[in-house]
Amino acid sequence: MDWAWLIPVFSFAAAPLIVVFGKYLPGKGSWLSILAIGGGFVVFWFVLGSWLGANSGTSGCFTSENTGLLTCDYERSWFNAGVVGAVGSVSLHWGILIDPLTIAMLGLVTFVALMVQIYSLAYMKGDPRFGWYFAVHSLFAAAMLTLVLADNFLLLYVAWELVGICSYLLIGFWHERPKAREAAKKAFIVTRIGDVGLLVGILLIWREVGSFSMLDAFEAVRTGAMSEGVATASALLLFLGAMGKSAQVPFHVWLPDAMEGPTPVSALIHAATMVIAGVFLVARTFPLFEAYDADPLIVVSIVGLVTALGAATIALVSTDLKRILAYSTISHLGLMMLSLGAFGYTAAIFHLMAHGFSKALLFLGAGSVLHSTEFQETGDMGGLRKVMPVTAIVFSIGALSLGGIPILAGFWSKDEILVAVSDNRNVTFIVLTLFTALLSALYMGRAMFLVFFGPLKDQNSQAHESPIAMTLPMVLLGVLALGFGLISFNWPGSFGGFGTFLFFGHGEGFHFEVWLGVLSIVMAVAAFVVAYQIYVRGSISLEGVRSRNAGFLKVVENKYYFDEVYQWTVDRVVLVFSRFIAFFDRAIVNDIMVNGPADMTRRFGVLLRLHVTGHVYSYTLGMALGSIGLGIFVWLRVV
Amino acid sequence: MAWFIFILLAVLTIGGALGVVVTRNVVHAALALLVSLIAVAGVYLVLFAEFLALVQVLIYGGAIIIVLLFAIMLTRSSDYPRVTDNKQWPLAALASLAFLGVLAPSFIINSVEGTEAQNASFTGIGESLFTTWAVPFEIASLVLLVALIGAIIIARSDDGEEQG
Amino acid sequence: MVDLVYFQLLSAALFVIGLYGVMARRSAVLIVMSIELMLNAVNINLIAAASHLDGTGKFANFDGQLIAIFIITVAAAEVGLALAIILRMFRNRSTVNVDEINMMRW
Repeated sequence: MDWAWLIPVFSFAAAPLIVVFGKYLPGKGSWLSILAIGGGFVVFWFVLGSWLGANSGTSGCFTSENTGLLTCDYERSWFNAGVVGAVGSVSLHWGILIDPLTIAMLGLVTFVALMVQIYSLAYMKGDPRFGWYFAVHSLFAAAMLTLVLADNFLLLYVAWELVGICSYLLIGFWHERPKAREAAKKAFIVTRIGDVGLLVGILLIWREVGSFSMLDAFEAVRTGAMSEGVATASALLLFLGAMGKSAQVPFHVWLPDAMEGPTPVSALIHAATMVIAGVFLVARTFPLFEAYDADPLIVVSIVGLVTALGAATIALVSTDLKRILAYSTISHLGLMMLSLGAFGYTAAIFHLMAHGFSKALLFLGAGSVLHSTEFQETGDMGGLRKVMPVTAIVFSIGALSLGGIPILAGFWSKDEILVAVSDNRNVTFIVLTLFTALLSALYMGRAMFLVFFGPLKDQNSQAHESPIAMTLPMVLLGVLALGFGLISFNWPGSFGGFGTFLFFGHGEGFHFEVWLGVLSIVMAVAAFVVAYQIYVRGSISLEGVRSRNAGFLKVVENKYYFDEVYQWTVDRVVLVFSRFIAFFDRAIVNDIMVNGPADMTRRFGVLLRLHVTGHVYSYTLGMALGSIGLGIFVWLRVV
Repeated sequence: MAWFIFILLAVLTIGGALGVVVTRNVVHAALALLVSLIAVAGVYLVLFAEFLALVQVLIYGGAIIIVLLFAIMLTRSSDYPRVTDNKQWPLAALASLAFLGVLAPSFIINSVEGTEAQNASFTGIGESLFTTWAVPFEIASLVLLVALIGAIIIARSDDGEEQG
Repeated sequence: MVDLVYFQLLSAALFVIGLYGVMARRSAVLIVMSIELMLNAVNINLIAAASHLDGTGKFANFDGQLIAIFIITVAAAEVGLALAIILRMFRNRSTVNVDEINMMRW
């Protein structure tokens, strides 16, 4: 199991190889990238197998006191500053931590990245920077896999920032477009604000525990070596980083703009890398959040709920297909956070995976539609199921899954979240969560019906089904979106359900609260039916609703004015302050502190050069005076 | 007797030297220099350094004064009778006095108890020159040769060459 | 007899006068003359020391006189070169006044 580090290393190796040798290789080296991530996917199965075969006696493995999970930690010394063991010396390690959370994430990331890369073969065909795309893609996957495997905060932070820079490169992949450049910068800067919190949190933990190792930190929390205040503060700071990466309110603004990148990149960002890093971080450091009175979890659940609800309403009114999906992602990330905040550890990770497969599928489907029609607005589409049936079917599977229709993956995971929320949070939470679920089904139905149902528009009559390299990944993901939920059950004799594989504290089988389940099924089905009535049949008119709530609608359509508020803040606060700093830099630093000494030197030089008269007799006088001085000096020495 | 001669020679030496540095006429300055140099040769005789006195008269009184007069003649310095001092002469005077103020007390304070002045034979000088000082002697001849060639090259007319 | 110190004082006086000449005179010819005065001052010093300290120091009998001979040699060479330089200077600049020759400055 200690060779699990091979998984990211494959992709890490592929990236520079493609950059350097890509142009000499067939296919610009894209197959190298696919081979690497495919290799990672294969190794994932071996890791899973050896973890299942391991027990607390296996080398490096033990049953964690915090999570109750069989955890394997393999670390190497990285470098030592100072004498080992001496006071004040720092010894840094790097290593891999393997527990069910890691394994689940490894599977998700490698599989989705593999699918997306195969899909990209066709989608990015003919792009002038084809090789570069795959190189960054590889690096992106490698960074995310490192993030998942990291057993200490330092390595995690390095991988975290690598993920950030790769997303920057991919969102701004078509950097000839100003909007793509802006979006890339926005994504980088907004997530960076959260990263500062993450860094401070890590340093706080290091200061308290004296080690970057996560296991040491968890141990310190469990034994009480880390005080409640520090644990709470560091958990909240880590959560700040997670909010940035996972696009939680108020840091969600970068994710919809990230649509400017190639669509497969969106699929990767939304499903397997980047945004789920935040959820993963909270899950990974859950002992810190859950310690003492679990106060940070209240914040987590509130932020999650607000995000879920707000994003869902925006998704409902967006007209751009990719934006609908983006806000859907934000909403579902909010649900995951809410679930984590409501102690629904298993449910959150389960939803993360189910959502990952479904959302990757939806984005690949959207990419397929875009590739074929070259439209992004849902208004320009419609009836596409007639020309691209495979895409229509798999997209519908993804939409129904996220909408919460039974049997599909999303239903089971969402049901788990509902159970967790109703068990651990008060009635307001469960009502709003149910409402979010309803909205989720509604906007998913809206997107699905607007794009694929109804009459085919003339402008799309030339649209065609995508090539096999694009449909195959979609179909594979569709199978998972369809059947993934089945692993949550207890299969007698073989598997105790997802809840006994991945849990926090103690394993549990699958829960099913009848009233919640029935309610959510009824709501989801009703939502899809309503959506069908509105957008396909046209039998329900929205005009009345629209006109009555025009004011509120305007607010939602403008995304609650988050961008405007930020713009105002940047213009009125940041830029004004920056101008002051710039003035300070010009006047004080540049003019006085830099040019000042330079001026002084010059003036002094101008004065000093006057002694160079060019007259021989002046120099002789100087020599004479020097000799006199020397003579007096000798005299003083002697006397 | 020795005292009388010494004071006479000293007065001539200092007087000639002062003549060199204060006179406004270059030719007069050269003549004053000659007086001073011959007086110095006399001082050598008081010190029983007959050979040095001989050399002094031959080289300074003969060659060097002649060369300087040539310089005066070739540069027509005598055409400018009002050769004056430059602008910093008061400063130079002060500096010179200060120099004397450092030099003279140090000689007086650190005076060495000397023996009677003694005669140094020509034979001894010759022997010493060609045994102990043979290498510096050869180097000195080389220096003279180099100076000779250098002087010719520097002073040579530029006709037919690029003006330097 | 005349003590060593009086010769030394004579030497100092001569040297200082030469120094003044070097610093104060305009004509290059006069400066060369002043340098000769300074060299003579040094020679007086050396020879006086040689005569008065015969065999008392670590120097051999004639060392002072021999060094004086070398100084005279070098002085001769120096005057020859000085003449050449003065001639060249006069030819290029039509003057021998050093205060009119100040090209080597800022």
